[in-house]
Amino acid sequence: MMDEKRKTMISCESVDKTFTTKTTTNHVVNKFNLEVKENEFVVLFGPGQCGKTTVLNLMAGLETPTEGRIIVNDKEVKGPDPERGFVYQTLALFPWYTVMQNVEYGLRMKGIKKAERREKAKYYIDLVGLGGFEDSFPNQLSGGMQQRVGIARAYCNEPVVLFMDEPFGHLDAQTRYLMQDEIVKIWEKEKRTVVFVTNNIEEAVFLADRVVVLTNCPTTVKCEYVIDLPRPRSYTDPKFLALRSEIQSVVDKTL
Amino acid sequence: MPKKLKESLTKAGCAVIAFLVFGLLWGALTNFTDVGMFMPGPIETLEFFFDHFVEKIGPGTIPYHALMSLKRIIPAYIGASAVGVVLGLLMAMYWPVDAIVRPIFSIVRPIPPVAWIPLAILWFGINDESKYFLIALATLVSVLQNAYDGAKAADQQLVGVAKMLGANDKNVFLTVVLPGAVPYIFAGLQLGLNAAWGQVVGSEMIRSVDGLGWIIIRGTDNNNVLQELAGIVMIGILGYILAAAMRFAENKLVRWNKRGT
Repeated sequence: MMDEKRKTMISCESVDKTFTTKTTTNHVVNKFNLEVKENEFVVLFGPGQCGKTTVLNLMAGLETPTEGRIIVNDKEVKGPDPERGFVYQTLALFPWYTVMQNVEYGLRMKGIKKAERREKAKYYIDLVGLGGFEDSFPNQLSGGMQQRVGIARAYCNEPVVLFMDEPFGHLDAQTRYLMQDEIVKIWEKEKRTVVFVTNNIEEAVFLADRVVVLTNCPTTVKCEYVIDLPRPRSYTDPKFLALRSEIQSVVDKTL
Repeated sequence: MPKKLKESLTKAGCAVIAFLVFGLLWGALTNFTDVGMFMPGPIETLEFFFDHFVEKIGPGTIPYHALMSLKRIIPAYIGASAVGVVLGLLMAMYWPVDAIVRPIFSIVRPIPPVAWIPLAILWFGINDESKYFLIALATLVSVLQNAYDGAKAADQQLVGVAKMLGANDKNVFLTVVLPGAVPYIFAGLQLGLNAAWGQVVGSEMIRSVDGLGWIIIRGTDNNNVLQELAGIVMIGILGYILAAAMRFAENKLVRWNKRGT
């Protein structure tokens, strides 16, 4: 249940983003307003290429807004920060570091001593189910496993907010279903505010406390749906299917 | 037999066959054609070569000369490599450094080191210093450019990841730019080694009394083709050994990214 007394973790105020090059002007985000409460799992869902990733990057500080501002944890977002963890679509693991070295990286940057780092990192490596693979290099792991390293690495840095950009997009269907289960389990065990981007309707309804439907480019919030179903959810549950159809019918068609 | 071992043995076998065929062709040419008038055959050459592991040519045996050449190449190579890597990385990281060094570098780069001999003698005299200069020049060009390219090729997404995880500029360099540049740096070091070794003859044209280049030059002066060939063979063998040692070192250091050789 949404508890209005919960802290507002993320606040996007009239955020606008235009990319200008010498030859083109690209208006991608248009007066975007959103509020995310603490420990909410919010999914941004929209048609392909609508600007969802840009919105996420803005919230995480990987891009700066042309207008408007974003407040995360009572601080204005001005750039990347360990407080705002990010899980990338294209993995972005350090290929020259082992799983352990990747996961503990954030803690190492904070100056935490080796023994403590290792212990914490081990906890998160186990949490994502990669116990035993601490000394493997990313190129020795499958796509799903690499993505789990990405999640462990983001989590291990204990950010207040986690942003995930279609993390399961490059995985095969079976692994994708598995990872959806996994991420719910992980999130229930270690509650965090999450903003998750996807263009897959079932994934959105399966994972979210709230689905925020985005319009086509330039993107803004079209409408929102609170998903009140208990977890773990079932793809075939009638209520699930009903929500799925409704959202599907509402969303803009991909250009 | 494990697959990798089988593969290695097959490769070695092919190499042996290639050399045998080469030797046969060489022998055939010298034995049955006019080429034999001014070129010794493979067996003669090998005889001369191995004889002079014991007998001296001038001040020493072939191994002695090899050592003399190495004595010149190695310090110059190491010094120039260190400078090249550091300078290349600095140029990639800080545009003022690039602005200062790049113009001079671009002009120097296409000039073959041998063309510097007169100036080298003028500046450094006729002893080993001028030889160091030539070898260092040859090395520097390759190493610097590759180090620069390696740093420039840093994966921008990983830079973003590092920053998101709290890395400051120094850490971004140490944990993202540098590891990413290592394969390029090694490529540059290999090329630099080839270039340096290629200067054996060129540099020893400057008033030498020993060395593998000296052997060849002496051989040319006295029209002793066998001696020339002996020098050439030794240069080739040593060059191969050095390159192989370099590859071995790289494989050990860069386990996560096996480049082709």
